[in-house]
Amino acid sequence: MKRFLLWFIPGLAAGVLLMLGGGKVIERTSTNKYCISCHIHPAADASWKRSVHYETASGYRVACVDCHLPPKGNGYLWAKGKTGLRDLWNYRTKDSASFNWEERRRLETARGYVYESSCIKCHENLFPLKLSKAGEDAHLYYKQAKKTPDLSCINCHLNAGHYIAGYTHGSNKTFGSVSSAPREIYKEAAKVTGFGSFTEQIPNSSVTFRMMAIPGGSYKMGSTDGEPFRKSDEGPVREVEISPFYMAQVEVTWDEYLAFYQQTAAEGRSTDTEGLRSKKSMATDAISGATPPYGQPDQGWGLGQRPAISFTFHAAETYCKWLSSVTGRKYRLPTEAEWEYACRAGTGTPYFFPGDPLKFEKKGIRAKLSKNDTTVINSYVIFSGNSHSRTQTPDMVRPNNFGLKNMSGNIAEFCSDWYQPDAYGQYPSGILKDPKGPETGEEHVVRGGSYLDLAGSVRSAARSFTRSADWLKTDPQIPKSMWWYSDCFNVGFRVICEFDENSGKL
Amino acid sequence: MKKSSISRRNFLGKAATVGAAGIVVPSLITGCSRDTKSRKVVPAVSWVDQAPDGPVLKAGLIGCGGRGKGAAVQFIKAGPNLQITALGDIFKDRLEDARATIKKEGQEIADDKCFIGFDAYQKVIDSGIDVVILATPPFFRPEHFSVAVAARKHVFLEKPVCVDPVGARSVMATANKAKELELCVVTGTQRRHQRDYNAAWTKIQEGMIGDIVSAECYWNQNQLWYRDPVKEWSEMEYMIRDWVNWSWLSGDHIVEQHVHNIDVINWFTGSHPVKAVSFGSRQRRKTGDQFDSFSTDFIYEDGMHLHSMCRQINGCANDVSEIVHGSDGWVYTADRNHCEIYDKKGNVKWQYGEYVPDKDGMPTHNVKVGAYNQEHIDLVTAIRNNKPINEAETTAVSTLTAIMGRISAYTGKMVTWDEMLNSDLKLGPKIFALGPVDIPKEVPVPGEGDKPAK
Repeated sequence: MKRFLLWFIPGLAAGVLLMLGGGKVIERTSTNKYCISCHIHPAADASWKRSVHYETASGYRVACVDCHLPPKGNGYLWAKGKTGLRDLWNYRTKDSASFNWEERRRLETARGYVYESSCIKCHENLFPLKLSKAGEDAHLYYKQAKKTPDLSCINCHLNAGHYIAGYTHGSNKTFGSVSSAPREIYKEAAKVTGFGSFTEQIPNSSVTFRMMAIPGGSYKMGSTDGEPFRKSDEGPVREVEISPFYMAQVEVTWDEYLAFYQQTAAEGRSTDTEGLRSKKSMATDAISGATPPYGQPDQGWGLGQRPAISFTFHAAETYCKWLSSVTGRKYRLPTEAEWEYACRAGTGTPYFFPGDPLKFEKKGIRAKLSKNDTTVINSYVIFSGNSHSRTQTPDMVRPNNFGLKNMSGNIAEFCSDWYQPDAYGQYPSGILKDPKGPETGEEHVVRGGSYLDLAGSVRSAARSFTRSADWLKTDPQIPKSMWWYSDCFNVGFRVICEFDENSGKL
Repeated sequence: MKKSSISRRNFLGKAATVGAAGIVVPSLITGCSRDTKSRKVVPAVSWVDQAPDGPVLKAGLIGCGGRGKGAAVQFIKAGPNLQITALGDIFKDRLEDARATIKKEGQEIADDKCFIGFDAYQKVIDSGIDVVILATPPFFRPEHFSVAVAARKHVFLEKPVCVDPVGARSVMATANKAKELELCVVTGTQRRHQRDYNAAWTKIQEGMIGDIVSAECYWNQNQLWYRDPVKEWSEMEYMIRDWVNWSWLSGDHIVEQHVHNIDVINWFTGSHPVKAVSFGSRQRRKTGDQFDSFSTDFIYEDGMHLHSMCRQINGCANDVSEIVHGSDGWVYTADRNHCEIYDKKGNVKWQYGEYVPDKDGMPTHNVKVGAYNQEHIDLVTAIRNNKPINEAETTAVSTLTAIMGRISAYTGKMVTWDEMLNSDLKLGPKIFALGPVDIPKEVPVPGEGDKPAK
């Protein structure tokens, strides 16, 4: 017994000391000051101090650990230990100046650093009395969100902990009201004679864009088995004949899209559908354009000559209808066959420029060991290797043989075809003349790859498709927007204009 | 009355146009993984015959029609120290009528607590009351409920709680606000406060009918009341006085009346339908723009079908009841009959045993405390015992279920719960004043006419 006490009492004392001391250590290492002592990138600190969490109505200053660790008792210590070790490692081995703060604070990354349970711990009441109508709808949607686990508080409240200049989460009524386009207002569309490239003018706007004449011809659509990164939906290879047409030199820019938006935008979302029982209100079938977006469709990257993004397939189709009506020409989305013909521009290789997809790949041990040289692809394509995770302006790349830019990369592009993995095999045998794709489907073809993709996905033959439900997953509005995707920022489109060979007219 | 053919889109609001893109909003009752607070439906019923005593509870009545008067008297009789202290209505005659009724109960309401007009509800809520009884035509309910909860009043919320999806979501949101404030909200789907119904519910939970496989519910009755226009009345006054015949005011009778029976099935199954295919028509109605019959196939998430029918036509087979079939028998519940459970061969397995005999000792199907009284007893008991109950969201779900049936019948199309939760359909005019009512007055005609069948 004595022996036991001899060990037990000092043991107990040591334990108590450790507990007290441990508590102190945990406390000391959880202060804002302590966090900031290592997290020295000034952006984090400064943006926190400008946020609503720093200056709250209740006077409570929300601390770093309040959001970046789970609540105490919910894995707090475990998470603290884990993040601590990770941070220590990064602190020792990396240069914080090399961190891309802007990229890290985007939703996709931020989700990994903000604990939903911590949000809910403080914001226990999701239905405070002062909650707006839009807030009611959004929080009802959130409460019911069993099937959308990706929907988190910061989907809508990304700027709560760190201030983001210009961040809007709400109806963005002033979006696009300031255009960077020149001031001259065109009265009519461009005059075009003969089949040659021309600069289109959008009537009643100051916006122009270049249309390239694409001569008719034939090519082999799809890719063969040996092509690196090939997927099975790229075959079988088909011989295709394409009639001449015009295609926009670049993906529809924000300047172009905003001309459409400003001329057609509906007054705004409203729940006011009373009166719709009468046929009268349905009779006026004028082109009614997009409602104001929710949040920042351009992701804050800027407008102007950057490709327009975040709008739906429906919006792209409506744009083409509108452009046709104001110019008197036949503008539309390209078919998948036209798109690939234009992209290849006479080439039969994986890209419209020389090079092997395996040699352009940056990811993976093999790529690292072989020290791949990406100079060539960098000059033609905005892809994950050079995009800095965002769209870029067309002047960054060289055109293909038809004079078209960004056919591969930058943003992926809608085609008018329904997507089917076996679409090429469904066609009747023989040479295909201007094929238009399967008659039915659920999603549309998307081609070209984007700034997010690896080299293998920006090959001329690579195919992809819309993901309608996923791309609207976190739209909290009821009903969800038919004009703006909430979760897709790397797809846009390019217009083509039909050319009548017989009459020689557009 | 003009008739017009209508596309589904008109009735759904703008929701349906998203196309193939599935809008994923899971069902309210079954899917609420994020809700930390338990939402299990426990009957919020005290089963006491009188509410306990306590400090005076003052109630205001908004909507002084027949149901409002009844609810006011039932509130007063629910227990000691209960008063009606303020009245609100659009029409003075209705208000005075209610005032006289309440006077017979020994309570006088001062002139300065009687409010007339479209803003009367706000004045009643602001008049120093604790409880508000909302009994106007249902069109106004979401707004009144929202204002009442913002003023932190306990609420008796008459059914149906809305007439369109926008209203349903508003009530759901307000219900959540009321929960956070721990206010008590009892709704007028009073079968949930009816003792024989509750006994039947308990038997189902105990497994007496086995697994539920299908259900039927009925509200088939004679023609309901209507009013003819009077020269002195504006169009608005006429419509409100004739409100059970106008879809924007009542939600049509599948919503206004039949919601009771639909709510029982939702209650007994602990669920709600995910889609509906319905048809209905207008054969003999005299006024308004509503149908006078609906027959609806409601389909639940697990594939269970509920056949619901309701009719308001004289000289037809009438029935107001619910039946739920299980693998081991079926339960029959009716407001004016015995609640019973049968085995598969039709033998009575169980019958509610506490019906009270009449004064001559003859058997009746009356429970000891009628459900209309019980619901107010339960409301006052919850307030005085500080044990909040809140039925608003549940009743909003049942009301939206009925609205889904109505829209399916009006359009002839299948309508889904997701479409309902996403619809921006809002009925009614923009301007509320006693004058012309700027809405189309047309009876819906489902499907497409004048086109040869394909």
